[in-house]
Amino acid sequence: MTQANNDPRARQPRFRGLEAGHRACQGCGEALAARLVTESAGPDVILTNATGCLEVFTTPWPQSAWRVPWLHSLFENSAAIASGVEAALKAQGRRSKVIAMGGDGGTFDIGFQALSGMLERMHNVLYVCYDNEAYMNTGIQRSGSTPHAAMTTTSPPGKERMGKRHLKKDLLSIIAAHHIPYAASASVAYPQDLRRKVRRAMEIDGPTFLLVHSPCPLGWGHDGSETIQVARLAVQTGLFPLVELERGEVASVMPLRQKVPVTEYLKLQGRFRHLFVDSDHRAREEREHLQALADYNMERYGLFGDGDDPFDADGADTVRRGGPARA
Amino acid sequence: MPITMNRGAFAHAGSSLAFKTGTWRSAKPVHVHATAPCHGACPAGEDQQAWLALLQEGKPQKAWEQLVTTNPLPAITGRVCPHPCESACNRGHLDQPIAIHGIERWLGDEAIRNNWSYPRRGGEIRAERVAIVGAGPAGLSAAYHLTQRKYNVVLFDSLPEPGGLLRSAIPPTRLPRAVIDAEIGRLLRTGIEFRPRTALGRDVTLDELRSEFDAVFLGVGAGKSRHWDVDGAVPADLHEGLALLREWLAVGALPKPNAVVIHGGGNTAVDLARVMRRAGIRDVHVVTASGLPGPDTDADDVLNVVPRELEQAIEEGVQFHPHRTINRLIMRGSKVVGVEMVRLKKLPDGSGRKSRVSFEGTETVLHVDMVVPAIGEVVDATGLEYILRQRDFLSVDMFGRIGGQPGLFAGGDARDRLKAYPNGTVSAAIGDGRRAAEGIDALLSRRDPVEENRPPLPYASLNLSYYESSPRIDLPTLPLEQRNDSAEIEGGPNSAQAMAEAQRCFSCGNCLACDNCWTLCPDNAVLKTSEMAKDGSHYLFDYEYCKGCGLCAKECPCGFISMQAEE
Repeated sequence: MTQANNDPRARQPRFRGLEAGHRACQGCGEALAARLVTESAGPDVILTNATGCLEVFTTPWPQSAWRVPWLHSLFENSAAIASGVEAALKAQGRRSKVIAMGGDGGTFDIGFQALSGMLERMHNVLYVCYDNEAYMNTGIQRSGSTPHAAMTTTSPPGKERMGKRHLKKDLLSIIAAHHIPYAASASVAYPQDLRRKVRRAMEIDGPTFLLVHSPCPLGWGHDGSETIQVARLAVQTGLFPLVELERGEVASVMPLRQKVPVTEYLKLQGRFRHLFVDSDHRAREEREHLQALADYNMERYGLFGDGDDPFDADGADTVRRGGPARA
Repeated sequence: MPITMNRGAFAHAGSSLAFKTGTWRSAKPVHVHATAPCHGACPAGEDQQAWLALLQEGKPQKAWEQLVTTNPLPAITGRVCPHPCESACNRGHLDQPIAIHGIERWLGDEAIRNNWSYPRRGGEIRAERVAIVGAGPAGLSAAYHLTQRKYNVVLFDSLPEPGGLLRSAIPPTRLPRAVIDAEIGRLLRTGIEFRPRTALGRDVTLDELRSEFDAVFLGVGAGKSRHWDVDGAVPADLHEGLALLREWLAVGALPKPNAVVIHGGGNTAVDLARVMRRAGIRDVHVVTASGLPGPDTDADDVLNVVPRELEQAIEEGVQFHPHRTINRLIMRGSKVVGVEMVRLKKLPDGSGRKSRVSFEGTETVLHVDMVVPAIGEVVDATGLEYILRQRDFLSVDMFGRIGGQPGLFAGGDARDRLKAYPNGTVSAAIGDGRRAAEGIDALLSRRDPVEENRPPLPYASLNLSYYESSPRIDLPTLPLEQRNDSAEIEGGPNSAQAMAEAQRCFSCGNCLACDNCWTLCPDNAVLKTSEMAKDGSHYLFDYEYCKGCGLCAKECPCGFISMQAEE
């Protein structure tokens, strides 16, 4: 569609890889994450997409919200398709970057072996996992990424369990074990940081991996307006640390400014509602367990830092008149 | 692009833009330019947020021009105003309020140094003439705002120099005379005819003014000390506080008792106490029914002086006796040798109104050889008898209109207290002058007067996650041993400090252009434009696609976006 020159939508000072009109829910974290990733990656890319919300809400036939080449085949093979596309481009002598995308179900569980193979074969592909911590598209079933104690339709709290019994899979460490040049975690609450990590991954010739924490208002049980607030608290409490790994080694972490108790994060979400039932002694136990997991992350990644000034502005996307404080 | 089917029966994808997700919405984001708390609290009506924003953009002259659209005397108010704007500042919730008075003072001083002139307002030249009685802050402000609206203004004052109490009652240690001369000089040069040494009731009558001019504004101040005695007893050599201060400012003369008690809790009492203390009087006591600022004192029960002035007075050795009154004068013949004080407090009585209750058994004695009342002033009725009719102050509405007297306006210390517009400060007088100018303009243009009325900004609509903690600037104070009767005690910030301090402003209720809404909309429904939209921002909502999730409103740091229910 050619848009008139006086249409402000046609004159936005950023690349629009994912356009409006998609069918994501109100306040969808994944839609925001995908928009930020594609706008930082630019137009010279080919996307592959695993089955999932992102695939469904962007491409209801016969429309597409994507403004770059985009392929979808199956749930489990986003990385395999990306590997093939990359090999074909290489054979043709073309240098477009391939970005493989999937949700946590398609990445942590179903598409994991394809992903591992892609990394092992050192394809020049950026794999982006939009992590909303359950199978949202099919009706909020637990995945390997669902955090401990969260309620899903297949991990309901009750007499036997307080939500999911198991832990969130430490995917980043598994990825790190492939000894790839660059892997990082990011969050929609820190768009500056997310964009920087995409650009960093784009300039590396080799496999790179990005895990983007993307709240799901429907599946997590919070208001659509609170998506960023929830994502921000996940980082600030230490439950979702933002780290960068190069060749498996921790290269940098986003420092935390002050300790925020995990309950601040949990209480905003319906999926942790059972942890606030005073009459149930297990609720307190599980809250303490989650706090201990956060404390473990802080210690493991040194989130409070021991450098010159861990309380500096790196810890947040602060603003000043005319834009973000750090561009 | 229309969807085209080819013969292989697959479709070239059409754009999702054809699908208008805006129909999902139950509430829509709108830009609301709410009133920042500093602006809401300012007695002069300044929009501090607006001029701090211009400073953040690195435009001091533009900032000053914005400031003087309401207050033509910023170098003066930056020094003497008790800055309720800072008490209201939302930054106080995060660390400390912005040092607004310091920045205002710096802007005022920059304007004097660089000889900036007031921006010229457009509009037709008016034939009507307005008389203004009293060249104090209220009169000067009214004269300025009427001249800006192109009226012919004649300003009368009984004294040889303009300035009113700025000159006659505020010591140069707080307000240097050069600053008064510079700001008032600039104001009068805008085309105001100044007639000094013309007193109402002596050289000209109110009726003469009313017949000669189309409107008259009375900014006569409160120049007569309230009657004071203790159970009918008055020392033979009684001096009123304001009279002493005026005499000292005019000729430098001051009585020299060994110990003095000043009765009162306003600026006059504290200024006089400091002057007497610096003159070498050993014991200077201030007895006041109000309290000192502290956790136990209600905000409306605190001494009505600039807080830092109070601190400096205590530093200089003035002894305060809060929540007390003078019960009895201890006289030897007609001479005072001491006073008996008693503790008291303002407490609600049976009807809920607060009245002063003194507590028996708490009497104490101060040995002093002089008592100075400084319990406040009322309007000097000379020339105003038929308007004032035995009352202490003039009754006016918010536009300064005196009821039943068309064409007659008043403001400043001469008027009654209005609940929404407390007076008694220079800034309040400046605000009065501005609103009265609107009242006069409305009268002479045969329309209803209007005052800007934007909704206040609820604190909860700010998002503090986006602001960094940063400390307030420290302003220099003259060390105790260097203080004298002429050197200014408070210093101002330097340029770097003032510009840095302005950066601390949250921009409450007004767009910061931070890009948050544009960056965080999952639906690409916020568009950025290079033009400034009418609502003062660079962003547009594309309601064809906005699903109404409210994320932009939540993440707007300054509360500029609100969600409004769809009909």
